[in-house]
Amino acid sequence: MKIEINDLRFTYPTGLEALQGISLTIEAGEQVAIVGQNGAGKTTLVRHFNGLLQPSSGSVLIGEWDTKKHSVAKLASRVGYVFQNPDEQLFSKDVGTEIRFGPRNLGYSKEKIDELVTRALSLTELSDKTDTNPYDLSPTWRKMAALASVIAMDTPIVIFDEPTTGQDAVNVARIANVIAELRKEGKTVITITHDIDFCAENFDRVIALSNGKILLDGSARDVLGQEEILAQTYVDPPQLTRLGKRLGLKETVRNQDEFLKALK
Amino acid sequence: MHERLSFHIKRDSVLHRLNPLTKLTLVLALIMVAFTSPWYWTPHLLFLFVIIPLSFIGKVFREFFFAATRLILPAAGFLFLMQAFFQPIGEHVIFKFYFLDITQESLMFAFKNAMRVIVMVSSFTLFLLTTHPSELMSDLTRRGLPGQFAYVIISTLQILPQIQSKSQTIISAQRSRGLDTEGNFFKRAGSLVPLVGPLVFGSLVEVEERAIAIEARGFTSKSIKTSLYEIADTSFEKIIRWGLIIIIILSIVLNIWL
Ligand SMILES: Nc1ncnc2c1ncn2[C@@H]1O[C@H](COP(=O)(O)OP(=O)(O)O)[C@@H](O)[C@H]1O
Ligand SMILES: [Mg+2]
Repeated sequence: MKIEINDLRFTYPTGLEALQGISLTIEAGEQVAIVGQNGAGKTTLVRHFNGLLQPSSGSVLIGEWDTKKHSVAKLASRVGYVFQNPDEQLFSKDVGTEIRFGPRNLGYSKEKIDELVTRALSLTELSDKTDTNPYDLSPTWRKMAALASVIAMDTPIVIFDEPTTGQDAVNVARIANVIAELRKEGKTVITITHDIDFCAENFDRVIALSNGKILLDGSARDVLGQEEILAQTYVDPPQLTRLGKRLGLKETVRNQDEFLKALK
Repeated sequence: MHERLSFHIKRDSVLHRLNPLTKLTLVLALIMVAFTSPWYWTPHLLFLFVIIPLSFIGKVFREFFFAATRLILPAAGFLFLMQAFFQPIGEHVIFKFYFLDITQESLMFAFKNAMRVIVMVSSFTLFLLTTHPSELMSDLTRRGLPGQFAYVIISTLQILPQIQSKSQTIISAQRSRGLDTEGNFFKRAGSLVPLVGPLVFGSLVEVEERAIAIEARGFTSKSIKTSLYEIADTSFEKIIRWGLIIIIILSIVLNIWL
């Protein structure tokens, strides 16, 4: 499902203009990472995709739906949004109920709900924790519960707001696995991240935001190569990319494979 | 996230600049006089000619009006009806409603009592709107109020706005997962049920964390603490406070005497 954003501007009640004219199109099935310093407006931007925030001016189209004309609940059938802070997202008494909540609201059949919930549980490796209260989970698993509760909704677009922040290496790998799985199913995945290695390894397209404006938007290779411009929003390219540059490699490399290939 | 943790509205006005203790004394005086003054119209006049003008002086009339119409008036209205119906006084029956008599006296009595409550709640609202809780507490602890006390008061004052902002967050989370809160009333009320658990639980966890945090900063230390903020207090304000206390005493004395 295509996302079209047209000259989006948003001002918070405090008077702060957090988005200052954003235009972009995301095609169905794209894997997009959004990077940028704290306060750049990343969360504010993605909260427009499911209608939690309404544009002060400009428009956001999800498929043919204008977010101004559809409720958040309605948009939830197209856009799944994993909050930055799982504590703000979880409210049920156990993990199982938590994960059923979304698909049940979307009115799927009983069989489909069971299937979606089972799949979400196994993807996030939560299958043995269905009866646990989300608040009793460690922060790592709480994050996975938040992820599971959204992917169980089987929406064509899934948004992750800083999924890897504060997670250990094992869990980052788990999250990367979930994203790879969603990619296989042809879903659009939009991820906000500060983890630039994670970004380089998992996404085709990178958008860099700075002070409510788009600084860079292009293939991961092109964007991560622009060290000077990225520095404006306090993003460092991955170490291997920088090392490749220092070594004078012609191509911008993003990961170990590309690096080794370029050395040969 | 920008949470509003108190009712305080940050503006620049004479009322905002007054020392918190002066405002507190003023509130106390308004309440005491409204309740003890022997003259029937005292609470009504206090509300019209002191509290409402003060809300303009404090530049918070809009917020004050909002709180008054949404919160204070309905509560006072309810009180008025209860008292008008169930106060068995007076002979001048205005009308009968089954076994209930409404007399002129009971109406007058109910009106005065409702007005007293309005004065009490609205003056306190005005105080909360124009005083930052931490300013109030710094001032009171500086004057010798034990820190533990201050902590209890300040956390109580913050509970409502906190719960408000938390339930907003949870409602956003539920809507994002397809819960239609615009639909019928029962569905909406039903959606609030799962809120209670996380709200209470979250608050408890927070209380514990906060207790640890303040202890880590030497909360119970016996040594004398310096304050980051200087809170202005003039001798003029001291005179006002004494004046208010005299008014309170006078009103009580008159009440006993007459
Ligand atoms: N609820 C809010 N009210 C007012 N300002 C806000 C609110 N949420 C975020 N902001 C401000 O908007 C800007 C963008 O915030 P955000 O989108 O959360 O940034 P990011 O996710 O990129 O770190 C920041 O300056 C932030 O302080
Ligand atoms: Mg953010």
